[in-house]
Amino acid sequence: MIFHSLDFIFFFVAVTALYWTLPHRAQNILLFIASYFFYGFIHPWFLILIATSTVIDYCAARGMEAYPQYRKRFLWLSVISNFGMLGFFKYFNFFVENVAATLNVVGLAVDGPVLRILLPVGISFYTFQAMSYTIDVYRGELRARRSLLDLAVFISFFPHLVAGPIQRASYLLPQVESRRRFVAEKARSGFILICWGYFKKLVIADNVGIIANKVFALADPTFYILWAGVFAFAIQIYADFSAYTDIARGTSRWLGFELTENFDHPYLARSPADFWRRWNISLSTWFRDYVYIPLGGSRGGTWTWMRNVLITFLLSGLWHGASWNYVLWGFYHGVLLVLTRAGSFAVPPARRAQSWIAVPQIAGMFVLTLVGWLLFRETELSGIVRALRLSPLGVSELDRQTGAYLFLLAFLYSIPLWMQSFWVEIGRARQTAPIPEPIELAPWSRMALQGLACGLALAAILVFRSRTSLDFIYFQF
Amino acid sequence: MASSRARAATGLITLIVLTLIVPVIITPVINRWTAGRSLPPTYLPALEGPRERGAFQSIRVTELRYLQPGYVVIGDSMAGTRVDERRLGELAGTAIAPLLQPGSGSAFWYLALKNWVIASGIKPRMVFVFFRDTNLTDLMFRLDPQFRWSLDLTALEREEELNAVVARRIRPLHRVHVFLDRSMAVDAMRRRLEPAVAEWPAERLIPSRRRRTEFMSLMNARLGFDHLRPMTAADIQFDDAPDIDFDGDVEDSVLPLMLRDARQAGLTLCFVRVQRRPTAHRPPPQSRELETYVATLRAYVTERGAIFHDDTGDPVLTIDMYEDGDHLARHARRQYTENLYNRLRPHFQ
Repeated sequence: MIFHSLDFIFFFVAVTALYWTLPHRAQNILLFIASYFFYGFIHPWFLILIATSTVIDYCAARGMEAYPQYRKRFLWLSVISNFGMLGFFKYFNFFVENVAATLNVVGLAVDGPVLRILLPVGISFYTFQAMSYTIDVYRGELRARRSLLDLAVFISFFPHLVAGPIQRASYLLPQVESRRRFVAEKARSGFILICWGYFKKLVIADNVGIIANKVFALADPTFYILWAGVFAFAIQIYADFSAYTDIARGTSRWLGFELTENFDHPYLARSPADFWRRWNISLSTWFRDYVYIPLGGSRGGTWTWMRNVLITFLLSGLWHGASWNYVLWGFYHGVLLVLTRAGSFAVPPARRAQSWIAVPQIAGMFVLTLVGWLLFRETELSGIVRALRLSPLGVSELDRQTGAYLFLLAFLYSIPLWMQSFWVEIGRARQTAPIPEPIELAPWSRMALQGLACGLALAAILVFRSRTSLDFIYFQF
Repeated sequence: MASSRARAATGLITLIVLTLIVPVIITPVINRWTAGRSLPPTYLPALEGPRERGAFQSIRVTELRYLQPGYVVIGDSMAGTRVDERRLGELAGTAIAPLLQPGSGSAFWYLALKNWVIASGIKPRMVFVFFRDTNLTDLMFRLDPQFRWSLDLTALEREEELNAVVARRIRPLHRVHVFLDRSMAVDAMRRRLEPAVAEWPAERLIPSRRRRTEFMSLMNARLGFDHLRPMTAADIQFDDAPDIDFDGDVEDSVLPLMLRDARQAGLTLCFVRVQRRPTAHRPPPQSRELETYVATLRAYVTERGAIFHDDTGDPVLTIDMYEDGDHLARHARRQYTENLYNRLRPHFQ
């Protein structure tokens, strides 16, 4: 089931209405059933995978506590089963294709087997979430849970099952286990998040997505057209993914849960490190805690640190998809991080903190991010090379104007996003509340304004929703 | 404590009510601001609210009457990238009429047969319908808004039978969409606002209206079909549906209508299932369910007087003939056409 469908809206209203009439344990049973219904709505066989993963992780964690001397073996059981499933469904064809291509290079014509099977949506998200549980139990940071039901709810919790944010067991499991009560104030903020999420997805992401798709479908894009398309894709992927997060967080609040934030206005980042503190935060911190730090982190000197950063980012790129362009994208961001840290030694800290430098830093980082999105979106390596060799000179008047037109159209759709980001960022710069109140409003006036804003968002969705409904981009990961 | 809770609950209810009311209030205002012209009812009321429709292409009927073709070819780009109509005409010794629409589905093919071919009164020896795998019984394939516009070319003011089949096929929740579109006249608002949004960047760039119109036209051509790269992924996406069920789908499809109308008009239909993209050394893999589906489909159409031809597994159709996805390369069209003619030679006599 997808968020931007009427099925989901009816499903969610029905589940929520029933949910608050039930006692705590029955609520968890309902969440389990609802989550499995949500996930298996189109392809019921997906449920076999998530159920298998849940049972194995449950047994592995219980085994670690019951037999501490075999803790490592139980961890391996969990790691191999989770990554085995992920690897088989996500990377099998990629592996076979590359082996066949390599053999072809050495003159052995091989037609490898092709797995004609759908990638189970969300598998990358819930396997990582499940892994966080067993790793934390292995490390002794978390007790193994006795209740299989609670663990199943934690892994399959439907608001964030398909595209995150990835929640840590130590954060979400206690919420599953404790009694929850309906708080109208939380539901109100959740409702606003849901409206904003739908607006971002249906009005912004889907419309600019058409521009990006059009440009990346061209066989002969020139400089201005290509980069307008990359800009459109940058807006699309942010609006799309953050929309999913907002709807996930909003719906969770209606059920009495609080999910962690996943985005913090990433296009106002001032450096690569800052970008990764703001973009897909739940995934970045997962890789930090379960890959980068176990590898040694920044301990052990510059070369070790560089190696650890690059390995972490390569794996992060590969997590996004079984294609070399994602690996390249990960590598690119790793290199950026290494280079900027090296470069930062040349700039005195006092100068780095000066406010005037923020504007060129943000602009520069945004350009670097766009280059990254080119690597991410262009799946053919030859296309990437061709795109990077395009020159702004010698482009026809028509192509210059077409590029400018597409850029302005994408920018027009993205204005609400930029306004929100600047609003928050300026508020931060003034070191006031996260969202400063320019005018003190009475509670009723504020509520009326919020209602008006949500109503306008709904009207905009009705009128401006794209005729081409696109899936959430992160579903494919 | 209790009062603050009550205040919060009132606030929540107010927020939700306002959110739902605002669109209801502002849409009539915007609609009054728009031309106010009432929209004609759609020919598919089960699927959509009133909207501005494209014109029915009656010229096709005139052309068919003029041409009096011996064979008619109906289909989407699968037919368009396979059939060389000139070569087929040479081989068959008669004129060929291609009625092709890229991005079309079975609803379009049914209407093309009914409203163009049969309405023209011509008597071709055979009407080919090209399709992939489950297209013929998958009524909703390419009936989404992105592709639906092309139905306007073939649809009359009312299409009761098609609408009835669609109504059986769509899910009950879709009626909410139709209700919203109808009650808020969403399409009227779109008609006014969408061009305004599309126009805004062009106005910033080119103040002159005449030059702007020219630019928009050139830009559309620049981003058009001739400049697209091979759409491998887009075509590969059309995949075996996991829940193939011929018996469950056929009565809620246009296939029985096509067969009935053709029989009544004295026309012979020939359904050509094109071969999907093969691998380097093998025909395209098929699930067992798909094989069963195709066998049932073949029996169904042949029992009802139509001809069924399946390209799948034909050793002549090798990977080097393919360009992108399931499309054939331009250089392979002549070879494909000759091969098709040879395979169906008895029917061409």
